[in-house]
Amino acid sequence: MLGELRRGVSPFVLRRCFHDVRQYKEDIRWPGWQVIIGIETHAQIKSRQKLFSNAFNATLGEASNTHVSPFDAAFPGTLPRLNHRCVDLAIRTSVALQCDIQTRSSFDRKHYFYPDLPSGYQITQYYAPIALNGCIEVVSPDLTFPVRIKQIQLEQDTAKSTVNPRSRASQLDLNRAGAGLMEIVTEPDIRTPEEAGTYVRTLQSILRAVGASDGNMEEGSLRCDVNVSINRVGRPLGTRCEIKNLNSIRFMMAAIMHEIHRQRVVIESAPDPETATVPQETRGFDEHSFETYRLRSKEDAPDYRYMPDPNLGTLVLSKERISQICRDFPELPSQTRGRLREQFGLPERDIDVLLTIDSERKIPFDGESLQHLDNAEAGAVAYFDKVCTKQRDPKVVVNWMIHELIGKLSARGESFKDNKVTASQLGQLIDLVEDGVITRTSGKHLLRHLLENPTQTTALQVAQDLRLTAFSHSPIQNASADCQKQDVLLQLCAQAIVHLPAEVESFRRGNANVLNRIVGQVMKASRGRADAKAAGVIIARMINEPKQ
Amino acid sequence: MLQRLNVATTGRRFLHWRRAIAEKNASINAFVYITPKTKNEQTNAGAKNLRGLGVAIKDNICTVDAPTTCSSKMLQEFQSPFDATVVKLLREQGADILGKTNCDEFGMGSLNINSVHGPVINPLSFLDGVDGVSRSAGGSSGGSAAAVAAGMCFAALGTDTGGSVRLPASYCGVVGLKPSYGLLSRWGVVSFADSLDCVGVFAANVQDTRRVFDALNVHDPKDPTSVPEEIRRQAAADSQARMDSWSGDKRSLRGLRIGVPQEYFPAELSPFVRQRVKDVISELKSIGATVIPVSLPSTSYALSAYYVIASAEASSNMARYDGVEYGFQVRSPPEADHSTASRVYAYTRTRGFGEEVQKRVLLGTYALTADAFDNYFLQAQKVRQLVKDDFNRSFLGVDVLIHASAIRTAPPLGEDGGLSTYVQDVLTVPASLAGVPAMSVPAGVERDGWPVGVSIVGQWGSERVLMRVGSAVTGVFTE
Repeated sequence: MLGELRRGVSPFVLRRCFHDVRQYKEDIRWPGWQVIIGIETHAQIKSRQKLFSNAFNATLGEASNTHVSPFDAAFPGTLPRLNHRCVDLAIRTSVALQCDIQTRSSFDRKHYFYPDLPSGYQITQYYAPIALNGCIEVVSPDLTFPVRIKQIQLEQDTAKSTVNPRSRASQLDLNRAGAGLMEIVTEPDIRTPEEAGTYVRTLQSILRAVGASDGNMEEGSLRCDVNVSINRVGRPLGTRCEIKNLNSIRFMMAAIMHEIHRQRVVIESAPDPETATVPQETRGFDEHSFETYRLRSKEDAPDYRYMPDPNLGTLVLSKERISQICRDFPELPSQTRGRLREQFGLPERDIDVLLTIDSERKIPFDGESLQHLDNAEAGAVAYFDKVCTKQRDPKVVVNWMIHELIGKLSARGESFKDNKVTASQLGQLIDLVEDGVITRTSGKHLLRHLLENPTQTTALQVAQDLRLTAFSHSPIQNASADCQKQDVLLQLCAQAIVHLPAEVESFRRGNANVLNRIVGQVMKASRGRADAKAAGVIIARMINEPKQ
Repeated sequence: MLQRLNVATTGRRFLHWRRAIAEKNASINAFVYITPKTKNEQTNAGAKNLRGLGVAIKDNICTVDAPTTCSSKMLQEFQSPFDATVVKLLREQGADILGKTNCDEFGMGSLNINSVHGPVINPLSFLDGVDGVSRSAGGSSGGSAAAVAAGMCFAALGTDTGGSVRLPASYCGVVGLKPSYGLLSRWGVVSFADSLDCVGVFAANVQDTRRVFDALNVHDPKDPTSVPEEIRRQAAADSQARMDSWSGDKRSLRGLRIGVPQEYFPAELSPFVRQRVKDVISELKSIGATVIPVSLPSTSYALSAYYVIASAEASSNMARYDGVEYGFQVRSPPEADHSTASRVYAYTRTRGFGEEVQKRVLLGTYALTADAFDNYFLQAQKVRQLVKDDFNRSFLGVDVLIHASAIRTAPPLGEDGGLSTYVQDVLTVPASLAGVPAMSVPAGVERDGWPVGVSIVGQWGSERVLMRVGSAVTGVFTE
């Protein structure tokens, strides 16, 4: 145990392999300078209950102090009890980030006095975190680069304290106090603000795919601290400054950008720019001025008086538990993309759209899966997968989904998660159109109807109720129904010919284009149900062979 | 004199504890809160092993129907929203929770004088034949020990972090058991030093102690350090097997191996106490036990290690008392420095904590600073391991260790013990560091009438063995 009280990785080793990771690439914005960025991300764990208490996690917008157990308020006599669902989600994340999962890890207390910390310490994993040495392959349009993950640690979130500017009174909301967090720490492998943004987006999508976190920066379930240093190419690394608590990717990139310029000015305006260094500081980001500002200098750095938590002991993870989690592992975003590309042959553009829509999916608690659901809650990709069953053509399906379904939803001012049409219904609808039971036009009409009037019945039933089933040659096997439809179509065509004598005459004289107008009359009379192609053939035949 | 002491035990069925409290508590100051009399109405559950028995609870153990002050100004008005698991178990077994007992603030002290409720007066001070000087009941669980000694309850719960049950038991002439770490739930027990804190039991004799202990010895999922049932059963079976190997005669201890640790006879040990320990050992020898001298060489370092670890954990555990969520609060004056939370909290913490607590918080805070951590906290953890190794090694050759519970009998109140109050701890902290069970039993009285306690220490989970030996020791002196 004593051995574990020293922090794991030697910085010496990291220094040595440092330059192997990324090759220097000149950036025209700061020629001659190398920018080194590392990111610490705090991701709120999507568990029903908090990390060490049985209080339920609050969702955004709930009344203050309604999700608080005596433990969360640091009442005397309370003790922590580890929520193993949080541990399982941290293991999933560790697997997804290719980390070495530590079969033995432990918890420590980090002490400081602040109103958002009722017990006066945060329980975290300082000496022996749950996972070490991972890696994320970050893919951006112009570049793919690896970002090494130094460690993942489990820790408690703090309460929220806000100061009322008028009364200057502090207000404390303990709903968040003690919620489970994962701190995911990278090695300094990032080189530009854009790369930082892509890294966080990639991490977000991984966390969401494994169900470990919402990864929602706007709602605060993902927060970043960024370490930035700059050095002249070929020179030793600069002194880093840490920018705390960045809660959007845009702000993070702006903060890094500002920090690069600030540090350059500090060095270049020094009396001896060759040897000048930036003072080590912890900085904040002003969301209005888009600048960073000093929070504290290195001299003011607090001593957190880390101490092993005497209650929680060693967290031992069995090999079986880890392999069980690996067995039931959700598909990662890169795998999904590959599958959509290879298995379904979708173009990148459609894949991007599907994945973007999928990213709005609600993440269920405790790593549970909603993918078995037949509705939009399963997420766009699972929905697409479901519609694609029964040998439906994926390209047809993706067209219906992206152009018709999403298009109609956005026309209604809704997004995919508001979609009430089930995957089965959309599949049936596509079949009806593909099989010629209804026309494409009727298919669109049916879809709109289903969106407006959600129902549990089949698409066919609704189509029949709406009298949308087409009058046409139909591959449907029911001969009598077929004949009936054929009769109706013939009748409509005959009526159109009677109705438009001038056009008929024009067609007879060889103006082929005018046929469309006669067919249009049929379509109008059938309220769109007629098969336009079949009607055209019939009308042409009727005009050219009037005797029959 | 002893006969008089034993009135409390032999006549307990007919004694009304509440009447004794009404008569004696004003002078003893053992109870700081007395619960209104209620019939224990729970009649549904099965066996009720403690039906109608009056039990007192140390005031650092949470109760829903009484304040839990920890004898601190900080929590003087504090009312817990829940019962500690041990209290819940007592109620379920039909016990009558009589009230809350005085203690040293947050359990820090050995004389029960660091209390916002004032000191506990050792009830034996009022008996005829003793010198009439008010003496300490010991600490930190002084109120619980005194309540049992004065016949104000059948049994009492205390807590023991470094001797806080055994020492007052010794001073008050009652039995005090500090069980193995992890057996009795700490949920609802206000933490002083989590890795050392144990709930302990006081009663007038070993049999009654056992009755209460058995009712509480169950796994509690709310306490992460609570040992699973399986391990309890295994330890009990091991103890039983060991005792079965002894002589079949109940009055004999043939086969028992007693270790006498040489380090537990420090220079400060009073000659009379030393003699009593020797007497006990020869009595046990006379009924068949084998006596083996043993050495626990790390004992001399144990005290420093204990103070570093206990204070470090205390400084951490005391951090929550800032007057924000609950408890005592001093508002900082408008002209005060409000730049950091700690400066604002300082007003509350300076007035809310007593001197001893502040001393330990400061010591512990220092031990945890980055500069001191390796030299203090880490070293102390190493010593703690050495102390554990000492015990493990000893218990390969002996079943129990026997030594004096205290270096002397109860000291008079008002006597400034100085550093000797800490020296006293030499005898009790090693068992706390090792997490092994230790029980102080009365072993007669000194010439001036003040009782002497002898401690029996066993390996982890060997409470049954301790009780068998403890019964034999007390038997020697009650016959």
